[in-house]
Amino acid sequence: MAATATHEEPAPILRLTGIDRRFGGVHAVRGVDLQVRPGERRAVLGPNGAGKTTVFNLISGEFPPSAGRVELFGLDVTTLPARKRARLGLSRTFQTSRLFAGLSVEDNLYLAALGVSAGHLRLVPSGKDGTLRAAARAMAERIGLDTRLDDLVMDLSHGEQRQLEVGMALVAEPKLLMLDEPAAGLSRAERVRLTETLIGLDEDITLILIEHDMDVALRVAKWVTMMHDGRVIVEGTPDEIRANQTVHDLYLGSGLIAHA
Amino acid sequence: MNPTVSTRRIAWPALIAVVALAAIAPLLVSDFFLSAILTKALWLGIAAASLIFLAAYGGMVSLAQVGIYGIAGMAYANLVLADGGAAAAVNPYLALVAALLIATLVGLGFGWIAARSEGIYFLMITLAFSVLVYYFFSQVTGLSGFGGINSVDLPGIVGSPEQDPLPRYLVTLVVAVLVFLGLGVLSRTAFGLGMQGVRDEPARMRALGFDVTLHRTLAFGIAAFVAGIAGVLSVFYNTRITPGSINLAQTIDVLIVAVIGGLYRLEGAWLGALTYALIDNYSREWVPEVGNVLGPARFNTLIGVLFLIIVLASPGGLIGIAEQLSRKVKTPRRAPAPMPAPQTVD
Ligand SMILES: Nc1ncnc2c1ncn2[C@@H]1O[C@H](COP(=O)(O)OP(=O)(O)O)[C@@H](O)[C@H]1O
Ligand SMILES: [Mg+2]
Repeated sequence: MAATATHEEPAPILRLTGIDRRFGGVHAVRGVDLQVRPGERRAVLGPNGAGKTTVFNLISGEFPPSAGRVELFGLDVTTLPARKRARLGLSRTFQTSRLFAGLSVEDNLYLAALGVSAGHLRLVPSGKDGTLRAAARAMAERIGLDTRLDDLVMDLSHGEQRQLEVGMALVAEPKLLMLDEPAAGLSRAERVRLTETLIGLDEDITLILIEHDMDVALRVAKWVTMMHDGRVIVEGTPDEIRANQTVHDLYLGSGLIAHA
Repeated sequence: MNPTVSTRRIAWPALIAVVALAAIAPLLVSDFFLSAILTKALWLGIAAASLIFLAAYGGMVSLAQVGIYGIAGMAYANLVLADGGAAAAVNPYLALVAALLIATLVGLGFGWIAARSEGIYFLMITLAFSVLVYYFFSQVTGLSGFGGINSVDLPGIVGSPEQDPLPRYLVTLVVAVLVFLGLGVLSRTAFGLGMQGVRDEPARMRALGFDVTLHRTLAFGIAAFVAGIAGVLSVFYNTRITPGSINLAQTIDVLIVAVIGGLYRLEGAWLGALTYALIDNYSREWVPEVGNVLGPARFNTLIGVLFLIIVLASPGGLIGIAEQLSRKVKTPRRAPAPMPAPQTVD
């Protein structure tokens, strides 16, 4: 892992250079360049199959790119395993919830907080882990699950599970937060709550958001990257994106702005 | 693997009741029953518990447990005074510690190899370990004796089981309770919760910063330590060990014990082992011989049928059945399960 000094101002917190990814015959991501500056609020839009989730997976280290380079926090992390990227300050959620179904809400949040701290292998009762337990409970309150601390995640509603996804990413106190369709399947009230949570995020946190719901995406984001067919096709402010003809043809016309 | 059962707090009242019953059992049953049924169920239960621990908390169904307990048993039998094998005449307590250490280290090595695979591949690799251990001891007769290692020296605390099986029973009981409690406490530690995280969503664990392979390897090492305990206790029980006692049939038997008891709860290990020991000893008396179908080997038929029924009727084994019954008695009906999450189009 070589530290590459960046010469731009301000230094990007994330930089993708010529990122490519194939799955057998599927060319999911084709030469994507992307830069995100610290504190940015970025939305990534694009129709299904555009390659958005694959880009997330390449950033978080789920699998390596077929070609290209990933830099996080000024470091070349292209070959760094996911767990080390997490410990650098990267948190993400998954498009389909990946929660610990057999554990309680509190234990899920506890593990998320434990992940970026030391002592994964300790054999002391986890109930005595005061700081992490307190962080877990505070986050449960923030995402509105404080009444369900001891309930198993498999017994939560879909909306509650989506909230927990976000909570687990946040409790690690990331520098870069990546959310993959956090509003998918949420009720109107839940979407409002989520939007408020995202707008109210600490300004130091950099946010990258994949979201089909324009209402959520364009209210939260200050800058939008539009993907199609594995490529970035347009970038701009939410207003520019709303006005862009290509975007309309590809995306907004497709019924996906039903919520807006 | 199937989804998942949560960590539970240890059910103290039930545990105390069972242990109390086990403690007075010597007053109620014959010496034969005490040894052939209860003592055997306790050590066999520990072997099954090492399997269930990995399955229930780690999502790993391992067939290596008999191989590992074979290593512990063989190590112990070679280290102490015995008829056959190395007969190194080491102090039995020292030999016991060394045997557990060896089993744990070998287990960590096995775990390190197996930890990268999942599901059926994990099953096959761990099966290969057991087969490997069996062939190793079958062929290296310098370590396994001709016809096994016999008259193995036992530690003083076990006494002379031929004269009085009680001390050996009590030792096995105490160790079984300690294993049960130890694994229960472990499941609530940072490490133990991490294991369950790895069981439910390894990808999420990686994304959270955990080293999934290391976690799996260490879990395997802990299970190997427990299997090692069962191996040493099995030598106490038999006062001998042969390659035939750690062969493929025994591997399958331990798996059957675990499945019959219930793969999702530690308690299931001993319930399964007790059931197994009872059927093993009494199938001839309880079930009449019916031609070739239920011939002299009706034990195998019975166990096979029970296994089949349980696999079909209750993936949670006997413990699962007991749980369902008690839930039906206690609460009229649980709230309906939550709706499955709507699938987001990808
Ligand atoms: N793990 C994978 N294996 C095979 N194909 C994949 C995998 N992940 C994504 N793809 C394919 O890559 C393309 C882009 O998918 P994805 O990144 O999920 O799009 P989006 O998130 O924009 O809807 C799709 O054709 C999808 O089927
Ligand atoms: Mg996607």
